[in-house]
Amino acid sequence: MPPLIDQSRCIGCGVCMEICPMQVFRPNKETRRPEVTYGDECWHCNSCVLDCRQQALSLRIPAPFMMLHVNASELEPGRR
Amino acid sequence: MLNVQRILDTDILIVGGGIAGLMAAICAGEQGIATIVAEKAHVRRSGSGATGNDHFLCFMPEIQKITLKEMINEMMAGQVGPWHDTLLTKVFLERTAEMVHRWHSWGINMKPFGPDYVYMGHAFPDRPRMYVKYDGHNQKEILVKKAKENGALFLNHHPVTDLLAEDGRVTGALLMDVREDEPRFTLVRAGAVIMATGCSTRLYPNSMTPAMLFNSGFCPSCAGGMASAYRIGARLVNMEHPYTHAGTRYFARCGKATWIGVYKYPDGRPIGPFVRRPDREIGDNTSDVWKSVFADLMANGTGPAYLDCTEASPEDLEFMRQGMISEGLTSQLDYMDREGIDPARHAVEFGRYEPLLFGRGLEIDETGSTNIKGLYVAGDPIGNFRSGIAGAVTWGWISAENASRHVKEAELSERAREDPLIAARLALYEKLLRRENGAPWQEFNIALQQLMNDYCPPAPRVRSETLLRAGLKYMGDLRAHALRDMAAPNSHTLMRGLEVLDLVDLGEAVMTAARERRETRVQHIRSDCPFTSLSDGEKFINVELKNGRPVTSWRRRRML
Repeated sequence: MPPLIDQSRCIGCGVCMEICPMQVFRPNKETRRPEVTYGDECWHCNSCVLDCRQQALSLRIPAPFMMLHVNASELEPGRR
Repeated sequence: MLNVQRILDTDILIVGGGIAGLMAAICAGEQGIATIVAEKAHVRRSGSGATGNDHFLCFMPEIQKITLKEMINEMMAGQVGPWHDTLLTKVFLERTAEMVHRWHSWGINMKPFGPDYVYMGHAFPDRPRMYVKYDGHNQKEILVKKAKENGALFLNHHPVTDLLAEDGRVTGALLMDVREDEPRFTLVRAGAVIMATGCSTRLYPNSMTPAMLFNSGFCPSCAGGMASAYRIGARLVNMEHPYTHAGTRYFARCGKATWIGVYKYPDGRPIGPFVRRPDREIGDNTSDVWKSVFADLMANGTGPAYLDCTEASPEDLEFMRQGMISEGLTSQLDYMDREGIDPARHAVEFGRYEPLLFGRGLEIDETGSTNIKGLYVAGDPIGNFRSGIAGAVTWGWISAENASRHVKEAELSERAREDPLIAARLALYEKLLRRENGAPWQEFNIALQQLMNDYCPPAPRVRSETLLRAGLKYMGDLRAHALRDMAAPNSHTLMRGLEVLDLVDLGEAVMTAARERRETRVQHIRSDCPFTSLSDGEKFINVELKNGRPVTSWRRRRML
């Protein structure tokens, strides 16, 4: 469920639901407030984070997306 | 029963509100032509340019000091690749400078470094530069505003499910409103339609995270869009040639030219011949030339491949960071900051991404028109041209100029209201919606990816007559299974399910073209035809549907 909604900040304006290119957010049946419904379809594009005026959204990047990296010094022993 | 709940008429229907679609809407609007932009998501943040871009391919001979011919040669040698009709490349290049001026005048900062345009990145040492470096973080916001001022009507959350045609001309389209769980349908009658549906992702298994369908460098909602045009008879071209992008592992994101570093083997040797130290002017063009480099290094055990930026100056690293914001990579930057991944200290692994249909797809002529009257294409779904953001912008504009001329003569179809395709498709959608105990769309998307990966893989793996013949048989089985078993209980899952059915059509076209090209060429490797034929290199393969079956034909490449 990559996007996280901070409920203490969310005012239910629905901007995230409106602009998400993947339709990850859907309205709660009763309250009509945004919920993360299709989290598996998140593209991690950051649109919701950028456009939420309440700063209520953040992305949790799933473990399989870990960015593989090493200390560059390990690539070139002579430079250590 | 599902039925059409409203009918709208317009001059030009634009399918997709990404960069190409918005440019088309702006151009047509300037000429007083009415447009509807049908967008699957929301125009503010849809498509592969949703959050930004930073390189714009552009021909400005007075700055570059090169001829048109030299520019085309440079494009064919690099990332863009040789699958152009160069007659189209010429038409495109002659219009790129005006597009860049236009964007700058609208408020997209094409000159972020001072009074002049600056060329940088994706280049070979001592060779001409082709890309204007710019700040596109707000590109969609500006284009949406401009299109609105020019009178475009946006139908957000309205994917186009089907195009309509009669007597070889396009007459309109069926749109599905996915805002509520129960889908609603709109028929749009139009004098012309511009397909601006983006590249097609989700055809092959994700190369790095096979369990994740949406970890894509390009917009994963842009899947299968061009199939609706193929189904009404539009010709596809170059489908057999895999296009693979590359970038960071495992978090897939475009923008490799934004990074300033040197690709290296694990022992520190540079992989390519182009740079020894990070160079912001040219980047490292290795993977633009050796297109399967990252996959090859994994397959032969000499990998993994790293991008090492640590010898870049602090100024270059800060410049790179700003470039990543312009390119729209803020989610990746946030992640790196959180995880303490610092390009000043760390080398980041790069990998090849899975093939997607990008610059393989619908065939156009110099006006942006397909073989179907009134049906135009702009941007990534064009099959005989490719140039990312610049291609989207410029072909969006050119196709709209020509579609605007076309609609002045075209009359709306009366028969479109009663087109039998509408009832047939709605009956299928009804079945998918109401089916009980059916299977979710993901099963069929994954099955499709398995077939593409096993029977029609890109280099360094091989294709052959027996593999492709089997693959095509299984693809037919898969379509039958999907139609029999798929259940999509609401509008969202129905949208995804229809994307998968579109992708099955396109996958079949890819396999059919790959079977026809009996030679080995770049990433299309035929184990049963290992040679590259000199004469076939100048010929393209078309695929079109005839009596519901994909049929191939050959034609000469249209060279300048």
